[in-house]
Amino acid sequence: MKDYRIIFEKKGISKYISHLDLNRCMIRAIRRSGLPAWYTEGFHPHLYLMFPLALSLGTESICEVMDFRLTEELPPEEILEKLNSALPDGLHAVSVGEPHMQATDITAAEYLVKLSAPEIPDLKSVLENFLNQPEILIQKKTKKGLKEIDIKPMLTIKNIDMQEQNLFLTAILPAGNDGNLNINVLTDAFQNYADKPIFIKSACRTKIFSENYQDFF
Amino acid sequence: MLNPAIEAHLLDVQKPSRYTGGEIGQIVKDKSDIAVRFAFCFPDIYDVGMSHLGMKILYSLINERENYWCERVFAPWPDMEEIMRQEHILLYALESGDEIRNFDFIGFTLQYEMSYTNILNMLDLAGVPVLQKDRGEQIFPLVVGGGPCACNPEPIADFFDLFILGEGEEVNLELMDLYHKMHQEHASRSEFLKAAAQIEGIYVPSLYETAYHPDGTVKSITPLEHAPEKITKRVITDMNQVYYPEQVVIPFIEPIHDRVSVEVLRGCIRGCRFCQAGFLYRPFREKSAETVCRQGVALCENSGYDELSLSSLSTSDHSQIEQILDKLLEYTEQEHVNLSLPSLRIDNFSKSVLDKVTTIRKSGLTFAPEAGTQRLRDVINKNVTEEEVMRTCKIAFEGGYTTVKLYFMMGLPTETDEDIIGIADLAQKVVNLFYDMPDRAKGKLQVSISTATFVPKPFTPFEFEPQTEKAEILRKQQILKKAIKSKKIKASMHISDVSQMEAVLARGDRRICSVIYDAWKSGCKLDSWEEFFDASRWYAAFEKNHLDPSFYANRTRSYEELMPWDHIDYLVSKKFLIWENQKAHAAQTTPPCREYCAGCGANQCLGRPCF
Ligand code: SF4
Repeated sequence: MKDYRIIFEKKGISKYISHLDLNRCMIRAIRRSGLPAWYTEGFHPHLYLMFPLALSLGTESICEVMDFRLTEELPPEEILEKLNSALPDGLHAVSVGEPHMQATDITAAEYLVKLSAPEIPDLKSVLENFLNQPEILIQKKTKKGLKEIDIKPMLTIKNIDMQEQNLFLTAILPAGNDGNLNINVLTDAFQNYADKPIFIKSACRTKIFSENYQDFF
Repeated sequence: MLNPAIEAHLLDVQKPSRYTGGEIGQIVKDKSDIAVRFAFCFPDIYDVGMSHLGMKILYSLINERENYWCERVFAPWPDMEEIMRQEHILLYALESGDEIRNFDFIGFTLQYEMSYTNILNMLDLAGVPVLQKDRGEQIFPLVVGGGPCACNPEPIADFFDLFILGEGEEVNLELMDLYHKMHQEHASRSEFLKAAAQIEGIYVPSLYETAYHPDGTVKSITPLEHAPEKITKRVITDMNQVYYPEQVVIPFIEPIHDRVSVEVLRGCIRGCRFCQAGFLYRPFREKSAETVCRQGVALCENSGYDELSLSSLSTSDHSQIEQILDKLLEYTEQEHVNLSLPSLRIDNFSKSVLDKVTTIRKSGLTFAPEAGTQRLRDVINKNVTEEEVMRTCKIAFEGGYTTVKLYFMMGLPTETDEDIIGIADLAQKVVNLFYDMPDRAKGKLQVSISTATFVPKPFTPFEFEPQTEKAEILRKQQILKKAIKSKKIKASMHISDVSQMEAVLARGDRRICSVIYDAWKSGCKLDSWEEFFDASRWYAAFEKNHLDPSFYANRTRSYEELMPWDHIDYLVSKKFLIWENQKAHAAQTTPPCREYCAGCGANQCLGRPCF
């Protein structure tokens, strides 16, 4: 029995697969791949599979993490090859190794967003003004109804770059058990802020961090 | 290929992967190699359609042909429909993303009557004229329909170019071959339809004229242009030779039935008189145990699914069912697959088999006595005795089960209040059985009763029968409520105008087409979804057309009356149906086909006795 951690991409139409559906999709892919998956014991055995960090629907990623167990040790290339031959378009395993950290170690994630707004001539400064507000308030749904929260303290902006018609924003947001902010919350807030339409052309998770921005692995 | 216009809105709708395609198992071909394109439309949403076995069979079958391409199309949920209409996005096929109005065939599977308005809505969304007569002489797209409801296609005749009657595996390809040839010869739509009408099993409604008596009943149905007088359904005679897919499209979202299925047999030996499927799919034919197991294993391996269902009208009637189960269980247990048998008659099973089968393990025990007294069960020819119900419940209780679901129908022919009270009595006996058992399971017992309103259907011995009116059903429900004494019995008695509409659409004639058209125009769609069904719109559509729904649903039809579907031949003779109807009224049963052939006529396609 051996634990493995897969890093995989979720791109293209696979970004429309919800987290719950991704779980079913991966179980079937592993079963199709012919890899000797490990099943839980007991009356209703099921294939052991764990995603340390969920990804919201519509966001792409180049760094998703999935943990599972095989009944025997296999060369990493073989695992990747077998799994990739069974994955649908857009899902692609890039590396496999032993898990070193725990899901609870995750603290943040980095995203790259591509935006455009044909009706806004200086999109970059609009975004900067938006980010420079004293607070950035959003409505959050809670059990007791809508609650207003300020997301400004949660944001770390790494880069803003205009290339031709497109604006690229790199941001680090809290992720994991101790607080999680989805990238679309930020982009929604920006769309609401601007008085002209802004198009989110893509949003992609590029890194997952543990403490002190160390890569989660 | 996902259309960018669609993609721009995918995050504004629920379950976007309904609209993307790209699933494992989908078949994408190079358009330049394709001679005939077929849009297989399921007239309901993706989640429902992707559970449907017939679609999987025909999809793979057509795609086996290199130069034919079959793609999938579903009705959008209203959130997506709104966007499509706003943004002028026409209905497209999932595999290519291409608009289906340019396809050669637009095929609808007709699984239940309440999906009819969805057909009109999908054609409209596709930019295809809803009425056949408005489609002009260009040969494509041909709007075709098949499936069980095609047995009485008259209420939707105005919307279709042709119907495919019976089992589609052979005739679909014959039809496409004819099209391929005539398309190359630049034939017109009407030329093609005339030629297609000569293929056995193809019904071209525009080539038939219906006349009515002053009292509204059908006087005659006359073929034109040498179309055949009787159109006979197609039957596959050898179930071991017939094509069956070993790879299916695997949806990202969870469909209603999330599993792979092997069809183990077609037809049914039981002859329950209310059951349309039991007559439509005659004669009984089974796959060999070897074929079933091979297909089941291949499906699991190719799909990665961990649930395999053995599907048919009555799987336990397979002559080698024990062998099939033994062999498959060997595989499924090893590979962590759940085996499920949705249509199991548990009475003839050993307990050890029962324990292994997941339908029972998962959902408690379900049983469908359909009627509350032995007399009424004899009338409907449901061969279940009270003893059998009790024996099965006993096995289940001994096995630790504490929930039992009993299904009944209300408004059956000859039904009296005594039969209704019998439903409560039967449930009470199950309760008593439980408490009389010294070594009963600990948990809390719950016996639930569910009743549905009986809908008479064509090609059954009850096609002559009136449906019970809503007021009378309500009265009967009250009687049942009063008759239930134990708190352990829970009755869910649903009433809705849907069942009357279903009864009209099932046995309607061609005049119903304009009712469906007007109902759709006034906003009816997704009628099988409770939240969308709007009876008042339907009744308004009847009024507008000066038609009375009770004429179709609640009237006794004489044996002599010409039924709107009497020009269609499903091999079971009308004489037999009349005879069975008479036996029903005398509360006489007909034994299962395997014991005794009652001479329905279905074996004519086999050229030998069924058994
Ligand atoms: S021909 Fe006889 S055995 Fe065959 S289906 Fe009809 S009644 Fe049953």
